[in-house]
Amino acid sequence: MSEEVKKQRPAPDPNSAKFKLGQIAAKAYSDCVEAKARGEKVGWCASNFPVEIPETLGLHVCYPENQAAAIAARGGGERLCSESEGEGYSNDICAYARISLAYMKLKDAPEQNMPQPDFVLCCNNICNCMIKWYENIAKELDIPMIMIDIPFNPDYEVSEAQTAYIRAQFWDAIHQLEQITGKKWSEERFQEVKKISGRSSRAWLEATACAKHNPSPFNGFDLLNHMAVMVTARAKKEAADAMETLLKEYKENHEKGVSTFRAEEKYRIMFEGIACWPWLRVTSSGLKDRGINMVTTIYADAFGFIYDDFDGMCRAYSRVPNAMCLELARDKRVKLCKDDHVEGLLVHTNRSCKLWSGFMPEMSRQIGKACGIPVASFDGDQADPRNFSAAQYDTRVQGLMEIMEENKGGN
Amino acid sequence: MFTLGIDIGSTTSKAVIVKDGREIVASSVVIATVGTDGVSDAIENVLGESGLEHGDISVTFATGYGRQTYPDADGQVSELTCHALGVHHVFPDARTVIDIGGQDAKVLALNERGRMANFVMNDKCAAGTGRFLDVMANILKLDISQLEVEAAKALHPAGISNTCTVFAESEVISQLAAGTKIPDLVAGICKSVASRAASLAKRVGVRETVCMSGGVARNAGVRKALEQELNVNIASCDMAQLMGALGASLYAYEKA
Amino acid sequence: MAVDELLAQFHEIAASPKKQLEKYLAQGKKVVACAPVYTPEEIIHSMGLVPMGVWGADQKVGEAKKYYPAFICSIMQTVLELGITGKYQGVSAIVIPSLCDSLKCLGQNWKYAVPDIPFIPMTYPQNRKPSYGIAFTKAGYERVISDLSAATGAKFSEVALADSNRIYNEHNAVMREFAEIAADHAVSAAQRSDVFKSAWFMRKEEHTAMVKQLNAELAQTPKDKGKIRVVVSGILADSPSLLEIFDKNEIRIAADDVAFESRQYRTDVPEDPNSLDALARKYANMDNCSVLYDRDKKRVDSILELAKRHDARGVIVLMTKFCDPEEFDYVPIKRACEAAGLLNLNIEVDRQMVNYEQANTMIQTFREMF
Repeated sequence: MSEEVKKQRPAPDPNSAKFKLGQIAAKAYSDCVEAKARGEKVGWCASNFPVEIPETLGLHVCYPENQAAAIAARGGGERLCSESEGEGYSNDICAYARISLAYMKLKDAPEQNMPQPDFVLCCNNICNCMIKWYENIAKELDIPMIMIDIPFNPDYEVSEAQTAYIRAQFWDAIHQLEQITGKKWSEERFQEVKKISGRSSRAWLEATACAKHNPSPFNGFDLLNHMAVMVTARAKKEAADAMETLLKEYKENHEKGVSTFRAEEKYRIMFEGIACWPWLRVTSSGLKDRGINMVTTIYADAFGFIYDDFDGMCRAYSRVPNAMCLELARDKRVKLCKDDHVEGLLVHTNRSCKLWSGFMPEMSRQIGKACGIPVASFDGDQADPRNFSAAQYDTRVQGLMEIMEENKGGN
Repeated sequence: MFTLGIDIGSTTSKAVIVKDGREIVASSVVIATVGTDGVSDAIENVLGESGLEHGDISVTFATGYGRQTYPDADGQVSELTCHALGVHHVFPDARTVIDIGGQDAKVLALNERGRMANFVMNDKCAAGTGRFLDVMANILKLDISQLEVEAAKALHPAGISNTCTVFAESEVISQLAAGTKIPDLVAGICKSVASRAASLAKRVGVRETVCMSGGVARNAGVRKALEQELNVNIASCDMAQLMGALGASLYAYEKA
Repeated sequence: MAVDELLAQFHEIAASPKKQLEKYLAQGKKVVACAPVYTPEEIIHSMGLVPMGVWGADQKVGEAKKYYPAFICSIMQTVLELGITGKYQGVSAIVIPSLCDSLKCLGQNWKYAVPDIPFIPMTYPQNRKPSYGIAFTKAGYERVISDLSAATGAKFSEVALADSNRIYNEHNAVMREFAEIAADHAVSAAQRSDVFKSAWFMRKEEHTAMVKQLNAELAQTPKDKGKIRVVVSGILADSPSLLEIFDKNEIRIAADDVAFESRQYRTDVPEDPNSLDALARKYANMDNCSVLYDRDKKRVDSILELAKRHDARGVIVLMTKFCDPEEFDYVPIKRACEAAGLLNLNIEVDRQMVNYEQANTMIQTFREMF
């Protein structure tokens, strides 16, 4: 993410997955800017809002969560958080929200700009905090808010009642958006979108599953970057192409015995939580320097949206991280740990995310037990640099490594 | 008529005697905490300085952290009201007062008559208060009064970005270990306090003239950092620490 | 009975929920715990079970730290703490809605932290007004009914629910009446809180009878004037030390927008031939709360309206630390107060407060501004 690192490297290969994925992310912003300039209405969209809806309708949307992450990774997190705090927002509120609310006011952030919204698309399958954040934007800018409520599911399966509730809301949202933007829903286009989304998803799942190889053909920090495209652009043809390229590269890496993890892979861990964007380099090199490869995260599983029909799509959006009960969330992670021969779990206790962190101590204990691996956690934040201590991180990672080393000796 | 104001803070006791609600006759600051003899020492000091006796004081008002437990006053009043009165007396044009004390940070909005129109205080966290500076000075083995001197020598202020005192502590220690110069660290610490106070100030709205009162106002490092954060000039004076006691004596005169 | 004696009774009940629990258990009744913010108490009541509110307690957190990080609100932390330490022993089940992110976590942690008290989830829709939302609420209620039957053996009937709906509506009415009377009569902030708090620990027909009596007695006392009238908003306002500061500074709570208090009693169950449909429609009709989707921030207008109607000079927000729904709403509330010329205070509170000096200073200063 950092600018200085980019300068030192040779020009990237335009046929590489990394380049393509970067282009897609950048193009999402520029497409929005152009659409806005043409006089089209553009939206701000929650990351787990059913992307099939704006995509089928042909709407241009941008993603405040991605923007906040980009701003934070490029060093603007504290500035924008402080701006919101000056407005009266508590510094305990999610830092993505604080950054976004500050951006709404300032309308400029050199780290990552995007057009102001004409409507907002909210979906709370990631958290209820999202509702409050978007309410405040919609009220302040006096723009329509499309709210799709996907309740936290306390059960393992998605009930018929929940599917029916979500289905009705999807159609309601579609009709509202048709009215707001004048664009029309087309069943034919939806089928196409579904097909492309399925292609991207299958390639993503297969690519991330390459972590089963020893050594893994990739550095798991790649996933933190690539998943943004998976979440927001997977219904675009370019994304499906790029994901297939990624899969091809990982397969080739495996065959050649190389990896995007630029160190000897001594230990394999799973990383839990959103990246610590303001401290990405510190958190990444703290692992790499010790030969620890983060081979998987829940993202590897979470964004494979494969479904047969509209109801299947409704259910898929009920099974995203943060919308599912502890047992399902645990089992998905245990599977990843086992498939990918994980030796330790590193948990980011994310000050910004109450939902992700609020039952993580219990869940990570259960994962550790089920997989027989050590668990370490560190305090951090997805976007506010003030809630992280490099010294604490270093000590925790070292402790985790020492147990993993001990376990190797014991076997 | 002579009135006495005493400000019993968490780390210091202050006393001011005012004549006829206008002229400051004597003032004293004693380093001592609630529950010690600091208060009586401060009172003896101002009486000695002014040549007055206990019986010459018409009305006494207490303010500050220990105001409710001090038995010998005619009444007590909150330090916010006192700082507003005190600052207005010294700086009649003041519209915003930033008071960073030992336990609390407060920002007051004053109207044209010097009356408080609005105020905010810090949240439950110690970051952004005098207590934060104490903790940091302690780690650096500096006296709190040296912070200003050290901050002035900074060439490349360090980024002390933490909102949490405990985290900031480990950050300062790490930076020390990494060889960051003390003046640069001190400047970073001052900036961190200033940044918290600036957020508070924005909540009430910053109107000039902006003044600083309270013990931390003496720390030019914090004051200058705050000027940069808010992009305004900040007035302060040697009396900054006495504003609460001055306000209490002025309040005592009003109530007499 | 004299006003003082009645108020003493409310205080006694508010201060000793454990005694109430033991009393009901001794009567052979089964008790179901109800977590914040809203649960279908009417259903629990109609099945012959006693719903009791669990909103935590003013105490230290120890055991719950094993489950929650430090930045989850103290209400969730202490509810879990009380569960782990056996304070709810004898309770047949706990109903936990998922109206905020920390509540979702409470339900998940509960299953492992307090395995002997079954967790019954109540999933409310946020799009609660359209017919599909009402249908989903009803499905949530049906799930609660079936889980309650499994946990307690109690049976559900629509006829019994119709009765309970009426009992709850009557309770709502007397609580609203009490709030109005308390605004003008000599009831201290602490006493006012006792009346609201005790409601959580009693069968509603019993509470209704007591409040009716109190209302009648209070109405005959002379009006109490000369205090600064305020609206209090927040999740909780039950800390005795905090309320004492209100009383000491002669500040009168003229109305509240507190989740633990009046937000519970604003909406009645509407008339409907089917009592479960009726109850689902009650939820659909609820508004003006930080955990209920509110695109137009009608809650902000409702607070200003409350202040205006009750001649309040200011709005005091008691902000439960780490409650993000309330923290998001605070900014529009603050701005609206400023625009309307109402003073507003934001006092951060939690259930581990031992030092009230800052709250004291803020409230005293607020008083001095008039």
